[in-house]
Amino acid sequence: MTTTEDTKDSQETRRGSYIYGIVPAGVRIPDGLDPIPYGDQDGELGLVTEGRLAAVVSDVAADRALGTRRDLMAHEAVLNAIAQDTPVLPMRFGAVVTDDDAVAEELLAPHQDYFVRALEQLEGHLEFRLRGDYDQDAVLSRIVEADPRIQQMREKIAGVDEDASYYDRIRLGEAISHAMDQIREEDAQACLDALAKFAVATEVKEVGGENGAVHLAFLVRTDHRSDFERAVDDLGDAWAGRVELRLIGPTAAFDFLPEFDAPDEAQA
Amino acid sequence: MTVAKQQGGGVQKDPQGGLAEVLDLILDKGLVIDAFVKVSLVGIEILTIDARIVVASVDTYLRFAEATNRLDLHAKGGKDLSEVVGGMTEGATQGGAKGKTKGMLDAGKEKWDEVRGERQSNREKA
Repeated sequence: MTTTEDTKDSQETRRGSYIYGIVPAGVRIPDGLDPIPYGDQDGELGLVTEGRLAAVVSDVAADRALGTRRDLMAHEAVLNAIAQDTPVLPMRFGAVVTDDDAVAEELLAPHQDYFVRALEQLEGHLEFRLRGDYDQDAVLSRIVEADPRIQQMREKIAGVDEDASYYDRIRLGEAISHAMDQIREEDAQACLDALAKFAVATEVKEVGGENGAVHLAFLVRTDHRSDFERAVDDLGDAWAGRVELRLIGPTAAFDFLPEFDAPDEAQA
Repeated sequence: MTVAKQQGGGVQKDPQGGLAEVLDLILDKGLVIDAFVKVSLVGIEILTIDARIVVASVDTYLRFAEATNRLDLHAKGGKDLSEVVGGMTEGATQGGAKGKTKGMLDAGKEKWDEVRGERQSNREKA
């Protein structure tokens, strides 16, 4: 790339401060984190401190689109690493303002009380997400065995030519899909029954994928963490062969931000 | 994609989750900057990826039906007939459908190529 006067001029304005999240002032960011790349080069993480708050930021070139795999993973990884030791309010991906002064004066200063209160609420809490996938054969067998109507439909298509049984197969699949939704509800409830007592807040989230079984988020106090994880392991044992569970976290508390539509003062 | 896992009580432990997990969170959750900052916003184009999987679709139904058809159950009633007919056509129908089903699963699972430019805000700069 040749540097003409033109590009040099615009370079000054064409940078922005990318904001990952907000932390209490004075915390240390873990070393060795990989921030969102500036443009072609690596970015550098920094803290913009204002009063009792600090924003975790890095410079990004404002003339490139954000959203590569590396960008997305970096946003999440930085926040999760910080969240291990300190409360953090995560920003949604893609928050960029003109410079660090704007971060301090427009974001942190006017909403100081609000962010401080939110951080206090998160202090000493960690988010975990529990995902599970069905063993497809196991769940299908259970559905077929439990429902004579589905059994009949299955027998009807057995050995019939694919084209000839097209609509019968759709009807069968639809019936199975509904039965699976029913089982999902029961399993989500079973998760809550087993785990909610170790969490201060829970959320049942949308299950992704056709074999998806459960997807829940839990806000767990740090001193209840081991009890919670033990209970998850017990559930995994109980469901072995039927549902494969995956525990993600601890992560930043994306799902448990205080009721966070903009505060009144931010609506102005 | 998954990050390093350790096994524990049959539950996979995953510190962060894969890209699909991350997308699910950081594009939908978190504080929205626009709610707090007005003047100095930089409207960088965000490429988001629609990774959401349509669960209830005809394709899904057909895959369920196919998988159910393949199940090795202790079928009750009507077994004789289906076994005879099944024995004759199984090789042909199943072989073909299986390949197709696999392909569809792979294609549907993570459709990263559908990049849609969303939220290209044109705001005044400070």
